[in-house]
Amino acid sequence: MARLKDKTARMPLGNKVVMFFSKPANVILVVFFVLLCMLTLYPLLTLVSETFTVHAGREATATKQARGSFTLYSFKKLLFTLDDGGSEGFKESTSWIQFYSPLLNTMAVSITSSVIAIIFGGCVAWLVTRSNIKFKKFISTVFVFPYIMPSWTLAMFWSNFFKNVNVGPGTSNGILASVFGIMMPEWFVYGFFPISMVLGLHYAPFAYILIGGILRNMDANLEEAATILKTTRARIVSRITLPIVMPALLSTLLLVFASTMSAYAVPVFLGSPVRYYVLSTKMMSLMNTYKGQGYIIASVMIIFGVAILAINQWFTGKRKSFTTVTGKSSQISLVNLKKASWPIAVLLVIILVLLAILPLVSFALESVIIKAGDYSIENMTLDFWIGRNLSYLDQGDANGILLSPKILKALGYSLLLAVSCSVIAGTCGVLAGYGIVKRRGSFLSTAVNNLSFFPYLLPSLAFGAIYLALSTKVSFITGMFALILVGSVKYLPFASRSGISAMLQLSNEIEEAAVIVSVPWWKRMVRVIFPIQKSSFLSGYLLPFVSCMRELSLFVLLVPTSDTILTTMLMQYSEKGWDQFGNAINLLIIVVVLIINFTVNKLTGASIDKGIGG
Amino acid sequence: MPQIVLRNITKRFTKFVAVDNLDLTINDGEFITLLGPSGCGKTTTLRMIAGLETPTEGEILIDSQVVFSATKGINVPPNKRDVGFLFQNYALWPHMTVYQNIAFGLENLKWSKSDIASRVAELLALLKIEQFSKRYPSELSGGQQQRVAIARTLAPKPKVLFLDEPLSNLDAKLRLEMRTELKRLHLDTKSTFVYVTHDQLEAMTMSTRVCLMKNGLLQQYDPPLTVYNRPINLFVADFVGNPTMNFISAKATGKGSSILLEAESFKASMTTSQAPELKDAEVVIGIRPEYVCISDEPTGKAHAVIYSNMPSGMETTIRLQLGKTMLTSVIFRGVDYPVDKKVGFSFIGSDILLFDKKSERMIASGSLQLI
Amino acid sequence: MKKLLSISIMLLCAIMVFSTPQAEKPAEPELTGVAALAKAAEAMTHDELVQKASAEAGVFTVYGNTSRITTAVEAFGKLYGIEIASSNLKDAEIYEKLDIEINGKAKGADMVMIQDGASLKSQMLSTGNLINFVPASVKPYIDENDQNPLVQQYINKLFIWNNKDAALNITNVWQLTEPAMKGNVIFKSPELEQVNMNFLIMCTSPAWAEKLAEAYKAQYGKAIELGSYSNAGYKWVAEFLANCTFIKSDTTIAEEISQATAAGKAGLFVLSKLRSSSVLSENLTVGQYLASETGKAIEPFSGFMYPMYSMVTANASRPYTAMLFIEYLMQADGFEPWGKSIGAYSGNKSLPAKEGDLPLTVWKDCLVSEDADYILENYETVSSFVIKAL
Repeated sequence: MARLKDKTARMPLGNKVVMFFSKPANVILVVFFVLLCMLTLYPLLTLVSETFTVHAGREATATKQARGSFTLYSFKKLLFTLDDGGSEGFKESTSWIQFYSPLLNTMAVSITSSVIAIIFGGCVAWLVTRSNIKFKKFISTVFVFPYIMPSWTLAMFWSNFFKNVNVGPGTSNGILASVFGIMMPEWFVYGFFPISMVLGLHYAPFAYILIGGILRNMDANLEEAATILKTTRARIVSRITLPIVMPALLSTLLLVFASTMSAYAVPVFLGSPVRYYVLSTKMMSLMNTYKGQGYIIASVMIIFGVAILAINQWFTGKRKSFTTVTGKSSQISLVNLKKASWPIAVLLVIILVLLAILPLVSFALESVIIKAGDYSIENMTLDFWIGRNLSYLDQGDANGILLSPKILKALGYSLLLAVSCSVIAGTCGVLAGYGIVKRRGSFLSTAVNNLSFFPYLLPSLAFGAIYLALSTKVSFITGMFALILVGSVKYLPFASRSGISAMLQLSNEIEEAAVIVSVPWWKRMVRVIFPIQKSSFLSGYLLPFVSCMRELSLFVLLVPTSDTILTTMLMQYSEKGWDQFGNAINLLIIVVVLIINFTVNKLTGASIDKGIGG
Repeated sequence: MPQIVLRNITKRFTKFVAVDNLDLTINDGEFITLLGPSGCGKTTTLRMIAGLETPTEGEILIDSQVVFSATKGINVPPNKRDVGFLFQNYALWPHMTVYQNIAFGLENLKWSKSDIASRVAELLALLKIEQFSKRYPSELSGGQQQRVAIARTLAPKPKVLFLDEPLSNLDAKLRLEMRTELKRLHLDTKSTFVYVTHDQLEAMTMSTRVCLMKNGLLQQYDPPLTVYNRPINLFVADFVGNPTMNFISAKATGKGSSILLEAESFKASMTTSQAPELKDAEVVIGIRPEYVCISDEPTGKAHAVIYSNMPSGMETTIRLQLGKTMLTSVIFRGVDYPVDKKVGFSFIGSDILLFDKKSERMIASGSLQLI
Repeated sequence: MKKLLSISIMLLCAIMVFSTPQAEKPAEPELTGVAALAKAAEAMTHDELVQKASAEAGVFTVYGNTSRITTAVEAFGKLYGIEIASSNLKDAEIYEKLDIEINGKAKGADMVMIQDGASLKSQMLSTGNLINFVPASVKPYIDENDQNPLVQQYINKLFIWNNKDAALNITNVWQLTEPAMKGNVIFKSPELEQVNMNFLIMCTSPAWAEKLAEAYKAQYGKAIELGSYSNAGYKWVAEFLANCTFIKSDTTIAEEISQATAAGKAGLFVLSKLRSSSVLSENLTVGQYLASETGKAIEPFSGFMYPMYSMVTANASRPYTAMLFIEYLMQADGFEPWGKSIGAYSGNKSLPAKEGDLPLTVWKDCLVSEDADYILENYETVSSFVIKAL
C-alpha cells in the first residue's frame, strides 16, 4: 500500500486558509479573538503599565521624577513598607494598613458573602425546583429583586433599618430602634457582618439562578434511583445531588467571589463608620492620590479574578460535565415537604418580603417625607415626584422627578445606554456562543471562551478609568459611544454564558438539516437557531440590560456630565444629601427595570433567571 | 411472597386522564409486560406501583399490605416498598465507578463490607461485566451500562423488579441478546418482573402475561399466546403480531355453528363453535398472515394477484390484491413469487377471528372456507 | 511552563513600551494658546469680553466641585444666550478627568471650579493645564493673595455641635481629643476629601503646631508632652482622628448631628450645609458664632477654610466664554447661588457675606488655611501618618 507522501496530494496552505474561513464559526471566533484582545487585554496591559509609571502630582513630588517615567515607587510604598510602624510593629506599618489588612478583610468578606449567597440561593433553588413548596411563582419572581437594586441601596436600607444611637456615629435611630425600641449591637449594624450579609443577599439571586438552572437540567432519575435503593434524604443530597452539582456550585462560588471582591459602595457605607476597610475602598482613595498604588490594587483584584478563572477551568475540565442536557424531560416526583411545607414557605416569603419588598417600600416612603425621620402624614408630600417650582427646598431639582426634563432626559439616556449595551452584548453573546460551541475543544474556542469571560473580572472602577485613558488615544471613543462600548464589553460575559448554554442544548442535526437544503448561514441563525432557543438567547439580552441600568462605578468617569444617566445622578444626589430625590430616582430605576423584565417575559418567555446559563 | 393488586387506580393530570380505573393483579413470580403505544399510561402505571408517582384514586396493595389508598390517605414512600426500579436511561451515577454504583444500595442497608464485596462480585459475574468494576459509566457502551444498571437494581435482592423500557436504547442485535438474558434472570432470581415496553415482540417473547393498555384503559390481560390467538378486540388484534393481522370488512348472517360472510371481494363460510345470532351484521374478519395460503389454482371463485413479494430467507411476506382489498400472507421458507402473477388463495387453520364492527369486540373464532 | 514564560515576556515588553518617559514640558517663557489669550484678556473691558465670547461657538462646558455651579452656569447661559453643559464631580474625579482630557487633547471642559490648592499647584498649574485669569472689572476688589490662582470663593468647615446636651461646649480643640468625646466627633474621612487631608497637614506646620501647644497649656495648665510625636500638631491630629467616626458625606453629617437624638455629638463639616431643609439647624450650635457672641474664641482655631478656584482649561474650545463666566462668578449675580446661603464668601471683597453670617475677614483670622507649598512638601510624610490613625 503506497503511503500518501506525494506532496501534490496534500492540501496547499492557501486552500486550508480558505476552507478554514468558509465556516462561519471560525470567522466569528477569529473576529472575536481579535476584538476581545483589543478591548480587554490592551486595557489590562495599560493598567499594569500604569503601576510602574509616575503620575503627576504627589507621586512626581515624592519620587522627584518626571511624569510618565518608570518607577518602582508604588510597589515599594504599597507592598513593602512594613517597617514604619514604629513601636506597634508591622501592624501599624503603611503597607499593612493600606494593603495587607484590607486584603485580609476583603478575603474574609468575599468568602463569607459567597457562602451566604450560595447557601441562601441554593436552598431556595432546591426548594423551588425539587420540592412541593407553596408560593413558587411569588418566590421565583421576587427573589431577583435584590439583584436589580443597586447594591448600595441595600446597604443604605440596612443602615437605615438597624442604626441606633448606641452604635457607630450614634446620631439617630433607625426604624427598628425608633419603632420597636430594639437596639442592635455594633457588630450587627456596621463592619464585617453587615457587609457580608448585604453582599451575600445581593448576590443570592445570582446563585439561585445558576444553581436552579443546574438542578433543573439534572436528570431527576438519578435521585429517584437512589430513593428506590432506600437512601435517606440526607444521603441523597450529600452523595448524589451535591457531587453532581458540584462543578456548577463551584462556578457559582467563584463568580460571586469575584463580584463581591470589587464591590465598593457597600463597604464604604457599612464599613467606614467603624474603620473596617477593604481593598476596594482603599483603591478608590488611592486612585485619587497615589494612582500607581491604586492601580496595583486593581491589578491584585484582576490576578485574583484570573486565578478564579483558572481554578474553575481546572475543576470543570477534570470531570466531564455531569448535567447531561438531553432535553428528554423525565417525570420527576417532587419531594413532599409534608407538614414542613407551609412553615418553610411562609418563612421564605417573610424573608423575601423583608429583603425585596421592604426596601422598595422604604424608598417610596423616604421619597415623600419632608423632614427626615418624621413619618407622619402631615410631613408627606408628592412634590418630589410630581411637584413644580420646588426652589423652596433649595436642593436638587426645580421639579418633581416625573416632571423634571433633566431627569426624564437622564432616564432616556439610561434606557438608551442599557438597551444599546444589551443589544450589542446580547448579539455578540449569541454569535460567540455559536462559535464557541461549534468549535468546542479547539484552541480558538477555549481562548475566546475565556477572553469573553474576562471583562467580568476587571473591577468596574479600573475598567472605566482605563477606557477614559483610551478615549484620549482613540478619538471616537467619547460620550455616549464610550459608555455603550464599555458597558457592552463589561457585560459580554453574561451574554456569552447564556449564548453558550443555549447552543449546548441544541443538537447539531437541527442546523445540519438546514445546511443540506442550502440555507445560508445568516438565515440559519435568524430563522432556525435563534427562534428555537429564543428564550435562552433573549435572557442573555436581559441581564446586560438590567445590569447597565443599575451600574454606577463603570460609568462614573466616562459620563460627559453627571446628569447624563440616572445612576450617576442618583449617586450625586445621595452625596449631596438630597435624600428624597435620591430615593425617588432609585425607586424609578427599579420600577422601570421590573416593568421591562415583566413585559419581555410575557412577550417572549425570556427572563433573567434563564439568563445566566440556567 | 408478594402479590401486587391494583384496584380502581386512576391518575389524572388536571384534565388529562393518564390511567383510567385500572384493575390489575400480578401474582408472585410472574413476568408481566405493560404494553401499548406511546402515551397509553404504561410508564405512569409502573411508577405508581413503585411509588414514584401518586395515583389520584384507587388502592395499591403489595403483599396484602396497603401501600397506597386514596380514601384512607395512605402513601408509602418508594424506599419503603421494597422494590427495584430500572430506568429507561439507566440513571447510573456518573461520578461513581461501576463497583460503587452497585454497592451503593447495599451500603444503605448497612451490609458489612465483605458481604457487599461478595454480592457485587456475584452480580458482576452474573452479568458478565467483571472487567468494568473500576470504570466510570461514561467509559462504558450502552449495553454495558445497561448491565450495570441491572446489577445495581438486583443487588439488594428485591422481590419485585420494575423495568421501564430498558432495551429501547440498544441496537437490534444487543436487544435480542438482552431479551434472553432478562428472561433467564427472571427465572434465576425468582422475582416478579413488571416490564414496560411498546415493542410487542418483546412482550410476546418474554412475559408470562401481557397487559395491553390504550389511552389509560386496560384492554386485555392474558398470557402472550392467548393475546395472540384470541385478542379481545380490534386494537389488541392489530397491535400484536408482525406483520399485522389482515382485517376485512364483511356482512355476516348466520346462527348455529356456521356463518355466511360476504366481503367485497369474496364470499366465505365460517365454522365456529361460538356463533352468536347474526343477521346482515357489519363485521370485520381478522386473519393472521400465516393463515393465508397461496396456491397456483384457486379454491372457490376468488383469485388474487401478487402485489409484492419480500423474501427474508427464513420466510416470505407476500401482498395479494383482490379487487380493492389487500391481503398479507406469510409463508415459511423463502419462495420467490413473481409479481403480478395471478394466484389462488385459501384460509387455513381454526384461528380466524370475527369482530363486531361497532363495538370492535371479538365475537367468534373458527375456520374459514371460501365459496 | 512555556506558556507562562512567553506570557510574562510579552507583558514585560508591553510594560516597557508603555512607560517610556515623556519629557516634561519645558518652562515656556513665551505664552501660547489659551494662556496667551488669557493674559491679553486681562486688559479687556467687560463689553470686549462679551463680544469675544459671543463670537465663539459650541457648547460651553464647565466642571465643578460644587453642585450650585449648575444653577450659576444655567443662569449665565440664559443671560448671554449660550448653550451650556455642566458636570458636578468630586475633587479627585475632576483632576483625573482634566489630566486625561488635556493631555489627550480631547474635548472636555472650558472652565473649572476646583478646590485643593496643593493638587492644583502640582498637577495643573505647573503643567500649564489650567490657566489663571483675573477679570479687569473686579480685580480691584480682590485681595492680592487671592488673585493667582484666582479664588472665586472661600468655603469653611467649622466645629458645630448638637446643643441638646447643654454640657457640651467646645472652647478649645483639645477637648475633642478627650476620652469623653471618643466616637462623638464626626468628620469626613480625609481619604475621601483632599481638603480635609490638607487641613490635617496644615495642623502639623510649625506655626499651627506652636499655637496648638499653647492651646494645650491653656486647657490643661501644663506643658504638652510630645512623646513620640514630632510636634503638637501631630499629637492633636492623631488624638483627634482616634476620637472620630467617619461619615462619607458632609451633608449626611449635618443631618445626622442635627437630629434630636444626637445629643453630645460634635462635627467638623461645611457650614453651608446648614441651609438644607433636612438639617434641623435649631439643634446646632456653630462654634464660631457662639464665640463671637460670648467673646470667647475656640483655641486656637474654630475650623478650617479652603478656597474654591476658578480656572480656564488649556484645551478650552471657548476660552473667552470661560473668562466671561469667571468674571460673572466674581460678581453679585454670578455669586448669588452661593451667596444667598451662609458659609460662602466671595473672593470679591465688595460682596458681603450672607446676613447673620460672619464676614470673610473674621474667618481668615480664626480658621486654618491652606499653604500649597507646605502641603506639597510634607504630603508624603503627614499623609502616611494620618493613614495610620484612620
